[in-house]
Amino acid sequence: MFVLLRALSRLRRDIGLPTPEQRGSLALRLVDSGSCNGCEHELGAVFSPHYDFGRYGLNIVASPRHADMLLVTGAPTTRMVGPLRTAYEAMPEPRFVAALGDCALGRCVLGDPPEFAGPLEEIVPVDICIPGCPPTPETIGRHLVAALEYTRRVR
Amino acid sequence: MTSAILVQEIAPPQWREQCARSAADGGRFLTLYAADARSAGVATLTAPSTVVRAGFVRDGVIRVLSCVPAGDEIPTIVDLIPAAAWAEREAHDAYGVTFAGHEPLRPLLIHSDDPATWMVRVKGHDAYQVAVGPIHAGVIESGHFRFHVVGELILHIDVRLFYKHRGLERAAEGRTTDEGLAYTQRACAACAVANTLAYAHACESALGLRPSPSLARVRTLLLELERLYNHLHDIGAICAGVGFAPGNMAFAALKERAQRVNHMLTGHRFLFDSVTVGASTWSVGRETLAAAREEVHSLGEDSRKAWHEVLFNASVQDRLVGIGLLPADEVVRLGTVGPAARAAGVPLDARSTGSRLTYPGFEPTIPRHPAGDVASRVNVRAMEVDVTLAMLDELLAQPVEPAGMEPAEPRQAVGIGITESPRGETVCAVELDGVDHLNRLHLRSASNVNWPAVAHAAAGSLLPDFPLINKSFELCYACSDR
Repeated sequence: MFVLLRALSRLRRDIGLPTPEQRGSLALRLVDSGSCNGCEHELGAVFSPHYDFGRYGLNIVASPRHADMLLVTGAPTTRMVGPLRTAYEAMPEPRFVAALGDCALGRCVLGDPPEFAGPLEEIVPVDICIPGCPPTPETIGRHLVAALEYTRRVR
Repeated sequence: MTSAILVQEIAPPQWREQCARSAADGGRFLTLYAADARSAGVATLTAPSTVVRAGFVRDGVIRVLSCVPAGDEIPTIVDLIPAAAWAEREAHDAYGVTFAGHEPLRPLLIHSDDPATWMVRVKGHDAYQVAVGPIHAGVIESGHFRFHVVGELILHIDVRLFYKHRGLERAAEGRTTDEGLAYTQRACAACAVANTLAYAHACESALGLRPSPSLARVRTLLLELERLYNHLHDIGAICAGVGFAPGNMAFAALKERAQRVNHMLTGHRFLFDSVTVGASTWSVGRETLAAAREEVHSLGEDSRKAWHEVLFNASVQDRLVGIGLLPADEVVRLGTVGPAARAAGVPLDARSTGSRLTYPGFEPTIPRHPAGDVASRVNVRAMEVDVTLAMLDELLAQPVEPAGMEPAEPRQAVGIGITESPRGETVCAVELDGVDHLNRLHLRSASNVNWPAVAHAAAGSLLPDFPLINKSFELCYACSDR
């Protein structure tokens, strides 16, 4: 284990991520409403050693009841509309929604099959758009840090 | 070795007998799907509207049995070939085919509010249910598990997936073979190459084309690049599952490095749009190739060191040994594929039998003690990382240049392609009309066929071990649900 910890601290030094001037807090909850799993992979990487956006005070929480912001991936499917609404309704105010990735933004290449429940903004109000297919960890992290600044102002 | 696909029309009364004979002759069941008979060109205006097809493979030769159900009913084969269970349920939900004798024929795609339609009834003192999902606590895809437990002991699990069912197969119908790639690719990011390559193989086998040696080589490179970052991710996920943060972070960093190599070589971290039907326009400069080869070598060294630390960490290994057992006979019965099959000692790997890619002398990786538990599934992945690293070292030393196909056989209406994804054998079937449009696209991913095995492996384990058992299979919801 100590070999791993030593290697990780060396990696941290080599990457040299800057320490943020001010640390905030933004609790995030992911709802996959029908993605290809690409956005989930990249969201996971946001908190990996090469990016470590957790240092700004971003973190993933287990329940929408603990969350400030809902991250929604995928073009919503008919079977995920119900759980998506339930998760949104469970969130305390003030609450925010980020559309994560091109599918959630309605730029999906897949047309309009009957399993597509409709654009995300018609199901829950969308505050922040994070484009990309999938967006890179850097893009996701930067958007979420900007969102953190924004929510600090409006809260 | 021929790559021709033999399609045989069967009358409903002979369906069971012919399927049983195909299986008894050493044919391994691949997939079963329904299609519109009219678009598939086998029915007249007065005939029923669906056709059911079952694929078997023996010694690299694929045989497709085709049957037009009598009044939308066809005899089930689930008692002969239990691996066909989910396929029959899907064909029923999507195409309305009834499989006589498949009792109860539970819905799979269709989500009913009545639990009795999709749950097995578990009775007894102190038996209770734990409902998990479709939204999970971590950064995980959507799907529902209903655990029937006594105390912490899991008696039975009902897996309810297809929350992410996007109707990709239907949406692809009527598109050209080139347009179909986008639908197959969006089925799953982590298996993008395996899925699109299986699709390309299927289209090319229908079009009567064979890849040139250089095309086969660059495609092999893509498939192994995909395997590298996935296996590194999966080992990290197991570390996360036991709460071993240093291992999780070390492998997360290695996965990141592997994805940066992907980006360096193809311009995309998940290798999107790198596979095309009938040719490859992918080309990489010599210097970039050399840099990628050096980075793969260096991350390989670091991955070996990190794995050594995980392998000899008693607090990690104590959690992995002897749980989530899936023995070899269950693997064969359920048609399980990939690392899960090899961890039980079943030497099944599409890389050793396929003829459209470059795997000279490839042998499936079997651990020394193939116990079929979580530990052996993780060990198989770690061993395969080494095999993949060696292959990448060789492949990256050769040029990556545009390559094409060679005409080999006459065109066929049905094509089937097989690849080995990081999760196991992926099968794609396409049915084309006369002018390269898709009448039917069917993608049977490794995840789809392995999900029932997760439920079997976890029964008898403790509830807190389930995340670990689940992660040892590390299946995608996306390419199962489509």
